Amino acid sequence: MLGALSLSACEQAISELDKRFGDDIPARIVVPDSVLIDDDHHFLSRLSFGPTPSSLAEIRESGAQNWLERQLQPSSIDDRMAQLRTRRFESRFVSSGDCFDFRKEVLRADLVRHTLLKAIYSNRQLLEVMVNFWSDHLNINIEKGDCVYYKTTDDLDVIRKHALGKFSDLIRASATSAAMLEYLDGKDNKVEKAGDAPNENYARELLELHTLGVDGGYTQKDVFEAARCLSGYRVREKFAKGKVFFDPACHDDGAKLVLGQVIPAGGGETDLNRLIQIVSRHPSTARHISRKLIRHFVMDEPTSGLTARLARVFLAGDGNMEAVLRELFQSKEFFDNRGNKIKRPFRFLVSALRAAGAETFARAPLYTYLSSMGQEPFQHPTPDGYPEETLPWLGSLLWRWNFAFGLGADRIESVRVDLDGLMTALGSEGRAEELLFAFLNGRKPTKEERFCLARHGRNHAELFGLILSSPAFQRY
Amino acid sequence: MKETRRSFLKRLAFNRAGDRKAAVEEADHVFLNIFLRGGADTLNMLIPYGDDDYYRARPTIGIKSGGTVLKPSADGDLAVKLDDFYALHPRMAPLRRIYQEGRLAFVQAVGSDNVSGSHFEAQDQMEHGEAYRRRLQGGWLGRHLFYRTGRSSRDSTYSPLTAVAFGNTIPEVLRGAPTVAALQSVDEVELKGGSGAILEDLSSLYRASRDDLGRAGADTLRLLDRIASMKASRSLLKSGSGGVDYPDCALARSLADVARLVKAELGLNVACVDHGGWDTHFIQGGAQGLQAGSIDELSRSLDAFDKDLARDNLRSRVTVMVITEFGRRSYENSSMGTDHGRAFSLFIISDRVRGGRVIGEWPGLAEVNDPLHEPKKVLRRIPGLEEDLDVGPAGLSVLIDYRDVLYALTETLLGNGQVAKVFPDFQPRSAKNLTELFN
Repeated sequence: MLGALSLSACEQAISELDKRFGDDIPARIVVPDSVLIDDDHHFLSRLSFGPTPSSLAEIRESGAQNWLERQLQPSSIDDRMAQLRTRRFESRFVSSGDCFDFRKEVLRADLVRHTLLKAIYSNRQLLEVMVNFWSDHLNINIEKGDCVYYKTTDDLDVIRKHALGKFSDLIRASATSAAMLEYLDGKDNKVEKAGDAPNENYARELLELHTLGVDGGYTQKDVFEAARCLSGYRVREKFAKGKVFFDPACHDDGAKLVLGQVIPAGGGETDLNRLIQIVSRHPSTARHISRKLIRHFVMDEPTSGLTARLARVFLAGDGNMEAVLRELFQSKEFFDNRGNKIKRPFRFLVSALRAAGAETFARAPLYTYLSSMGQEPFQHPTPDGYPEETLPWLGSLLWRWNFAFGLGADRIESVRVDLDGLMTALGSEGRAEELLFAFLNGRKPTKEERFCLARHGRNHAELFGLILSSPAFQRY
Repeated sequence: MKETRRSFLKRLAFNRAGDRKAAVEEADHVFLNIFLRGGADTLNMLIPYGDDDYYRARPTIGIKSGGTVLKPSADGDLAVKLDDFYALHPRMAPLRRIYQEGRLAFVQAVGSDNVSGSHFEAQDQMEHGEAYRRRLQGGWLGRHLFYRTGRSSRDSTYSPLTAVAFGNTIPEVLRGAPTVAALQSVDEVELKGGSGAILEDLSSLYRASRDDLGRAGADTLRLLDRIASMKASRSLLKSGSGGVDYPDCALARSLADVARLVKAELGLNVACVDHGGWDTHFIQGGAQGLQAGSIDELSRSLDAFDKDLARDNLRSRVTVMVITEFGRRSYENSSMGTDHGRAFSLFIISDRVRGGRVIGEWPGLAEVNDPLHEPKKVLRRIPGLEEDLDVGPAGLSVLIDYRDVLYALTETLLGNGQVAKVFPDFQPRSAKNLTELFN
């Protein structure tokens, strides 16, 4: 096979190791026998990038609540197999400045492949889902300026470090991240003499997108005052390139009034901390983040009851994400809303690979599908991140179908699937197409679905492609 | 007869204004909506070189005019003069031809009542065709297509290519359209793998899903079918066979595809193309540089598109509008860029427009060049909006509500007899203050 031949010796060894010690397709997969989406399947669809044969077995054994508690402490989960797969990306082990030694294409590919491989293979799935959430929330487009050189550090020290931690820590880290300073022009927000207009770009998005939300009750004057607080943070361009530093000569050190709170003159670089404190503890921020989480994990139109409950937990815990997520995943709303969300392309593709137990190192032939479907990581041009709602993604069906049939036929270069192994594990108690459908979608097919599937009962490749292409697999 | 602002805009802006017969919809007219994402700095595109305040506000990024002599300059970095007040950015020079032929009209000081300064709110509002924080059903082009024939259901008058969004996502402006196709290129529309029976199965599976997803599936299947038969019958020209040199950029590739669809008569009515990169907070440049690059792509692509259509005598079939979500601050910031502002100028290219002119009054910059650069009240000049006074980012004052332009365009240029339904909560305003502007 072309794909297998192109693997390096090291990659072959990792593949082999994964087969022996990793989560390969178990001998027997028990499929749901319910008309509605099965509890465990629902849980794994939302808290991970989709069930795998082994994660279904795991959650059935330990129970959903225990699974959640483990996921909330990601460092306690053994993730050596996923780490093995991603440790060859050298750009992840060097500082921002040293990234300038790499070609842009290498950095771009490393970032995307790392993200994909972690989403597909990591056992710390809730962490990966939250990394995805925050990467949209604090979006960086690596095509702007030098962002591609800084994004890896941002991914490690901002997003991954704080994904399940405290919200204010996340925002503070992001505010002083070279990637963000580059992306939203913070590094050029300089007030050197009276009358200099600060660059408002980052300050505006900090209030509008990252914290309070557009209806959060701030004024244009607040944007202006926040920009003054943030002036003077810069990124080194020569020695220690990529290092963020505070330059008092470019900082507006007068008194500021943000959201009704005075920040006295002479604060220097502490203005930023004061500002982050004010905005990350604001009640509007608690509501805004709660709504976004509900939209991501539960429903497109968040109910006011759940939003209020989540916002209370957010404020009580001073933005502790662990507590907020626990409240969210134990809510009745979460439990009741199943199959009502449409997968975005990234989730569609990763969930298909996970379900199939695919073997891949996520090279270009795989990730270019994401770009065709419109959701290649770190490519969203504007700071709002990839949209959460359905409409924009409805135009991507043709590419989803092409991917689905390509995967089913084992025709995607650099990806291997073992459909026969999967079909064997599904057993023979029932019709193959119905077992496969139930495994992939967490419920039995309807009468109409059964009728369409029956025509392809014998050809596993087409059957697999058709189920992945069907409306049911677009939902979760 | 009491003149309304709408009849006024129509009478003055568009050739066939007032002629009710002209408002009959033509099934084969194509509207191309080009959205400059990010808030384009139109002050550096349609340059008010006759106003010294412009140069005072922009000491580094202002485009030099080389004095008031009207003859074309040999210096490629000087503004290209249109009259004794306005000039085009030097990279917009290719569009002067269309302007002089009377087919390109600018509308000055257009904007919405959105004072949030947010790209996303302003774009959403503009694409929905709604007032600030008044949520309408769907986008204005979605409603235009929905109501255009007086029928409100999906029926055979809609081809799978009635509305096409170039790119991989569907924009808000087409929300609610009876059918929408998002594609990156016509040539990529192909189902790879799967037998013919698969298409039937997909069709039944998506038919059973009675919601947006089901409709999207049905649209995609019809699109596949239509493109496949066009390719089989060779009525779709090969890419690049038009004999016109388009520049090498994504925008040009999309426009070349629009031209191919127009020529193939596939029932195209609305095409939406985004052009990004206009959010120039930082080192925006002047005659050269960041924004100049975007302007260059835009102008050369439009020039090639215009020539491409002309070769097949199809220019009269297409109306183009180039719009953005807001203009930018009139003064430059400390990083030689411009922050978010208010009004902008948009332009329309069409045989149906009385072009070769700038419609609308120049609001002046004196009062927005605030020495403290503080946000200030900017809406007071919009008639009827006095009660909506709010503090927004400073910038060019809005004199014409963007919906006045869209309304007139939808009714007159696109011949939609149900325009009031396309803009349901909008009353085109009295022309009292505008009468002087246009005469």
